[in-house]
Parts: sequence; structure tokens; C-alpha cells
Amino acid sequence: MTTCNKPLCKQPTAKEVAIFLVDYSTWLLGCGATCIRIEKNVQRMAEAFDMEYDMVIMPSNVQISVRNHDYTDSFSLVGRKHKTGISFNINTRLSKLSWDIADHKIGFEEALTRFEEITHTPPTNKWLVLLLASLANMSFCRLFTGDGVAMLVVFIATMVGYRLKQVLLEYKVDVRFVFFCSAFSSSIIAAGAYLFNWGSTPDIAIGTSVLYLIPGIPYINSVSDMLDGHYICAFSRFIDALILTAALSTGLCGGMMLMDLKLL
Amino acid sequence: MLLELLQDGFYAALAAIGFASISNPPRRAYLYCALIAAVGHSTRYLLLNNGVVHVHIIVASTVAAFMIGLLAVWFAPRAKCPAETCFFPALLPMIPGMYAYRTIGALLLCLYHQEEEIFNHYFYLLAYNGFTCVFIILGMVMGATIPVFIFKNISFRATR
Repeated sequence: MTTCNKPLCKQPTAKEVAIFLVDYSTWLLGCGATCIRIEKNVQRMAEAFDMEYDMVIMPSNVQISVRNHDYTDSFSLVGRKHKTGISFNINTRLSKLSWDIADHKIGFEEALTRFEEITHTPPTNKWLVLLLASLANMSFCRLFTGDGVAMLVVFIATMVGYRLKQVLLEYKVDVRFVFFCSAFSSSIIAAGAYLFNWGSTPDIAIGTSVLYLIPGIPYINSVSDMLDGHYICAFSRFIDALILTAALSTGLCGGMMLMDLKLL
Repeated sequence: MLLELLQDGFYAALAAIGFASISNPPRRAYLYCALIAAVGHSTRYLLLNNGVVHVHIIVASTVAAFMIGLLAVWFAPRAKCPAETCFFPALLPMIPGMYAYRTIGALLLCLYHQEEEIFNHYFYLLAYNGFTCVFIILGMVMGATIPVFIFKNISFRATR
């Protein structure tokens, strides 16, 4: 039997473990972890708490059933995914927490305290993200053989579009509409390069001006879930990403139509 | 050639850092993301522009993504981060954005034109760019994810 090595460390009940594990896995799901990671982390913690468990991961919920070995104490619970936005920092810290529990470095009470602390992890500074994302999209433009003028145009278009995305998301506007609006505004700014003949690669500028919105991580997660046999989650993540891509494509097309651009 | 390769790696690293910041990684992960992206993208550049063997962009992207996956698994325990924290941002500079853009453009032009010959031309562009885009993404993601599944013991113990 594996128990906590810390002094004064009491064995948690099935109910306490179930509540903790559901909260833990819904946070992990919300911050963009793959299903295999959620399963592995929960498994090692349940073993450390000396409990047996079964878990169902759905696109928006996690259901967990926890019991002791002789079935005298059991508890089942369903939790809703936390809408935290993708955060690899929280993902990393939660994974570390699971190992600390598995290696019996911390007891149940301390695990709860640390978990609470992790859920309050602040996101990266929004102005820094705005600058870095704009530089990243500018580099993207260069990778697609855009010239210096196209890079500058993409930098400005990204900065405006991404700032609009940040503001609209702060106002809790629907994320699909946000993607549409950001792509629309970025493409209109980038269209300036085409209309006024700035530089020699204005088409590259327009094409790359909205690429910062491509939901790459949900696409990658969906393939990862598919390879691991979590087809429902894989399909759900893929459709989510597809809808966002459709929204940004519509915004891009709307911007180009408004500016009366030739498309190819 | 060497200068172009270095330039490609530099811009890929910059793109990876920027896109990584959107997904809130731990600070120590930025350096690894940049390094992995630079090596991965330079590998693809070398495969596509070596002047010796012609490699298709889908194959080149898959091979480069496999390299990114291997490096991510290798670096993950050193960065004390899950492997996906390192390789997701590194993959983003390889996303075939221009193919996606041309696909949408061709789709709209298909809708604009009714004449059979012109429609067929844009339909060809739609299919060509669309298929290339989809298969590049599939190849990239599978190429990068396979090492994580092959070396599960390393990938999922990185934060220990």
C-alpha cells in the first residue's frame, strides 16, 4: 500500500479524492492538455492516494468514479471544463503537482493548497503577448518570402487585429465573432499594401496578416487524441478549430471583398 | 545557402516565441521552443532547397515535424515541461498559411465565375492548394506526435 510519508498526513476519503481529481482534470482539460496527459496524471495521483478509479473524458466534461479497494467507500462526480484558455504554464505546474503527489513529496492537504495556488496563475502580460505575436506574424511573412514592406504591414495589421481580439474577449464577446472581426480588420489593413502598391509582395502580406488567428493547438491536440483513441474529444477539438478557421476565413474574405481585391 | 538557412532558422525561432506567448508557457520554455523551431524549420528549408534531391513539401514538413517531436521529447525533461509545451509553438511556423489563403481565394473565385473553363481553372487551384494544405498539416502533426507516443516514458515524466 502506498500512503503519504509526511507526518500528520491523513488518508483522504473517496469523496475528497473524487472532488480533487475532477477539479484537477477539468482544469487540465480547460488549459489545453491532451486526453492522454489527463489520464496519466490522474492515474498516478489516484494510485498515490491508494484509490481505484474510472474516468470518462468528454469534450466539455469529465466524470470520475473513485473507490477504495474493498468498495466500502466510493464516490462519483461529473465536472464541467474550466474555460481558462490555453495555458501551458498551468498544464506544466499541474503535471508537476501530480508527480509530487505520486512521489509522496506532499500530502493531500498540501496538494489542495498548491492546486488552489496553481489555478490563480496569472497569464502572460497582455502587452508583451501583443508585441510578441505581432513580431511572430511578421516573421511568418518573411518565411513566406515576403519583403520588408510586407513584413511591416503584417506587423501593424497583426497588432491592430490582435488588440481587437484581446479587447473583445475581455468583453466576453463570442469567440467566433471575435475571430471574424480580428481577421476582417487585419485583412483590411494589409490590403493597403496591395491597393497602394507598397513593396513587391503585397499578396504575401494579405495572406499572412490573419495567420496569427489559426487555432494550431486545437488542431494538434485533435490529432494527438485521435492517435490515442479518444475519438469523441478528437472530433470535438477538430470541429472547434474548424469553426474558428471558417470564422477567420470569412473575416479575411469579407475584408478583401470590401477592398475589392483580386484574390489570386 | 548557409546564410539563408540561418536566416530561416532565426525567423522561425522568432515566430515560435511569439506564438508560444499566446499559449502562456513557462518562461524557461521559450528558449527551447525557439531552438526546436529553428532546427525544425531549417531542416524543412534544407530538404526543399538543397539542389540535389527534390523533396515534396508534404514529405519535407513531415520529416521536419518528426525532428521537432524528437527534439521536444529530448528537451522536455531538461526544460521540466511537458513535451507538447516545447513542440506545439515550434510547429506553428510550418503551418501552410499561404496554401490555406490560396484555397479560400480559389473557393471564392469559383463562386464568382460561371464559365466552365474559368470555373475549372479555379476549381483546380482550390483542390490543389486545399489538398496540399490538409496533407501538410496532417503530416506535420503526426510527424511531431509520433515521437511523443514512442517515448511515452520520457514524454510524460518530464515534469517529475
